[in-house]
Amino acid sequence: MLDKIRYFIMRALRNMRQWPLLCAASILTMAVALATVATFFLVVVNTEQLALRWTKEIQVIAYLEKAPNQQSIAGLTTKLQNIPEVESVKYVSPANAMQSFKEHLGEDASLLEGVSKDLLPASFELGLYRNYRNQQGIASVIEQLENHLEVDDLRYGQQWLEKFNKFAQALRFVGIILGGFLLFAALFIVSNTIKLTLYARRDELEIMALVGATMRFIKIPFMLEGAIQGLLGGLLSLAFLALSFVFVLSPSLNSFWLTPTDFDLLFLTLNQQIILALSGVVLGVLGSLSSLRRFVRL
Amino acid sequence: MIQLYNVTKKYGGDSAAVKDMTLQIGKGEFVYITGASGAGKTTLLRMLYAAEKPTKGQILVDRQNISRIRSRQIPFLRRKVGVVFQDFKLLQSRTVYENVAFALEAQGKKRYEVSKKVYQALKQVGLEHRLQRKPLELSGGEQQRIAIARALVVDPLILLADEPSGNLDQEVTFEIMALFQQANARGTTVLLATHDHSLNQRFPRRVLTLDQGKLIGDQQPLQG
Repeated sequence: MLDKIRYFIMRALRNMRQWPLLCAASILTMAVALATVATFFLVVVNTEQLALRWTKEIQVIAYLEKAPNQQSIAGLTTKLQNIPEVESVKYVSPANAMQSFKEHLGEDASLLEGVSKDLLPASFELGLYRNYRNQQGIASVIEQLENHLEVDDLRYGQQWLEKFNKFAQALRFVGIILGGFLLFAALFIVSNTIKLTLYARRDELEIMALVGATMRFIKIPFMLEGAIQGLLGGLLSLAFLALSFVFVLSPSLNSFWLTPTDFDLLFLTLNQQIILALSGVVLGVLGSLSSLRRFVRL
Repeated sequence: MIQLYNVTKKYGGDSAAVKDMTLQIGKGEFVYITGASGAGKTTLLRMLYAAEKPTKGQILVDRQNISRIRSRQIPFLRRKVGVVFQDFKLLQSRTVYENVAFALEAQGKKRYEVSKKVYQALKQVGLEHRLQRKPLELSGGEQQRIAIARALVVDPLILLADEPSGNLDQEVTFEIMALFQQANARGTTVLLATHDHSLNQRFPRRVLTLDQGKLIGDQQPLQG
């Protein structure tokens, strides 16, 4: 048994040495195909990540009719905190509001001189849990708010949220379509390249069948070859991907005007890297298998 | 060893490559199959190593009915049947040794067994000194001897040869014939398809004559 396994591996390696060009063509095709799909995956993941960052801005601001007195603030805060969708509660007193307004005005702050400190209304700023940063979540929070507070006005960026939802949906849709298309194209190209390499070796396949080799005996070395080439292709694609990440993807996403400065671009996690290399193996084996079916006839 | 009963082979359409053929070949016989091109010689041989299945009729090889053989069993039939072709069918990228060893490796033989048998087989055909050459570095006659060594290295019960001397001059042809005779003398049944009548004159044996897919003659050699 061990003898056989060793024989199969030796044959696979010898075949690859004997046909270096064909072998290189298969490896490169798989590497390029995998790197293309993986690059696309990275773009989608990072864009989605970016979009998630923007949703952090989503909050409900409730402007109160009357500023509550000092004692009731803590109680109100706890009550609001108890709304299931609410992650954080921040009370902004009229004085705080004025202060930040002044900071916002900067050099023009002198305009506010002589204006009453209580001009601006008190408000609660409610941050939401990630899952609820959408229209339904906000609607539910607003409904519950009205039980606790006498609210004068609410701000929650309704229009912006709707636009964002549409954008996120479109992104996912385009991602699935384009990703699927790329994956299909990659499979097609890889299987055709392998078909070509087997076509060049059809004599060998024919002779093996003539001298009484079993189907298994004929196929295993080619599948092993496919697996080895796939693994090499997968690793090479990882290298391509790292290069394109550093030199293309990273600069272009960072220069995108909506990207926050503290945003860390995501590369593939270790698991995803392993999956990429293994999908090379799967691609190689499946490609060989489907092409072998066409060329091996007993 | 080989029996055909009313065997017909059609490749689509109406014309048959082999028509209603019935014949028997005993163990250890040496038989020529002659006839013009298109007479059905190659089709007959191809059916014997299960590269084709008959459209009608039964074929028995070594008491096994191969007319409806499952593809899983074909490799095991081919281990009993060595085949030699006009165009040699050698792997040009492999050495002489590797070409012959290939047949044994395909049957899953152990490495030490392989090297011993390959050497013996190449010695039989007189090419043991060319082990590491590639086929294209050798003459046509030498290439055909390698192909014969590959067919014989597995000790087949039957040796099928389809115009083995078609590309070779007469002197080399007689050398090749000597190899077939040696194999036959060791008990291998030999079927040799050829349209070269000089072979039968020089090495008289049983002759099956085909014409347009039909067996029209079965002639035993004259004794004495």
